[in-house]
Amino acid sequence: MSKLTPKILAEQARIHGLLVEIYPGNRIDLDANAEAVLWVNSQKELVSAIKTLRTETGLQMDRLSDITAYDNIDGNDGPKRFIMVYQLYSMRFNVRVRLKLGLAENESVPTLTSFWRAANWLEREVYDMFGVKFEDHPDLRRIQMDERFVGHPLRKEYDIKDRQPFPDSLPVRIATRAPAIGQE
Amino acid sequence: MSKDGSAGFIPTTLEYAVKWAQKNSLWPFTFGTSCCGIELMSTLSGTYDLARFGAEVVRFSPRQADMLIVAGTITTKMSPVLRQVYDQMLEPKWVVAMGACSSSGGIFDTYSVLQGIDEIMPVDIYVPGCPPIPEGLIHAILKLQDVVQSGSDRPKMHRLTRAEANDAMSFRKGTDESLFDDSKPLRGQ
Repeated sequence: MSKLTPKILAEQARIHGLLVEIYPGNRIDLDANAEAVLWVNSQKELVSAIKTLRTETGLQMDRLSDITAYDNIDGNDGPKRFIMVYQLYSMRFNVRVRLKLGLAENESVPTLTSFWRAANWLEREVYDMFGVKFEDHPDLRRIQMDERFVGHPLRKEYDIKDRQPFPDSLPVRIATRAPAIGQE
Repeated sequence: MSKDGSAGFIPTTLEYAVKWAQKNSLWPFTFGTSCCGIELMSTLSGTYDLARFGAEVVRFSPRQADMLIVAGTITTKMSPVLRQVYDQMLEPKWVVAMGACSSSGGIFDTYSVLQGIDEIMPVDIYVPGCPPIPEGLIHAILKLQDVVQSGSDRPKMHRLTRAEANDAMSFRKGTDESLFDDSKPLRGQ
């Protein structure tokens, strides 16, 4: 982990304080890099939080670095099955803020494509790997696995070695090992 | 050679000359998909200079190449593409599996990665390493030259039923039987 300069650490502390001020009822963690992790409680609150973080003059989180998720099946982070993770970055203050949102298995999330067009493919990846549905997403298809793939491979119940064959990607012939030189 | 085409001494000599020419002008088609590709570029560059062994004319069309170097992880989604590249190459052709991933899947024993390209095509030379050093690839190409010169049997491909292929490919066992119905033709046959 690289050492942060005092200037950035000061900015991070300022933004953490600002978040505590704006969201007094929410759980706000600090990670190992002293970056703020804001837990939002509902889908509605997620959209309003994104709007606030983008427009608030002291925050200006104008860049979406990443959207991902993780499987919370062991319940370390509350009762919800999945945790959505939104990684935001402020080009103005050079500070990152993470948003987390718990999701039950049947719940969906509003898409962020209206805020950042980059959210399109990131959300498709989360849908592909975890099966999380995004409301009003313009093109919610699998992005990495084959379209005929069954299941979502980063869910914990998916067997990691479960490769799925399809008729046109099946080998028609299988090779034997090449003979070692001098032994044929 | 007599008029009816029966053999004298020339065909044997010609065969030798052709093999000599083939082994000293292997034209590689590079299929670099990850870090092995970087080592491959390094091997082709001036420092290691694969040109010393006549294999510097990299072709980015499979129809002009006779040596396929697969350098990197091949996913199951990529495997039909690689198979098509192999099918498009003209005979005679040779395949080098460079690195752990293309030889055996490497560390990626997961839902998305092919466990070695020899599941879909015959391989002449395997290069160990993750990634192999350029000297390793050069050694492999020198060994491949021996294979070309000796004219030893190419690894044979034999036709499997789909059920056998499913078993051999370490895919999930016996789920959708309709995929392995041999009465339906496979694409590309």
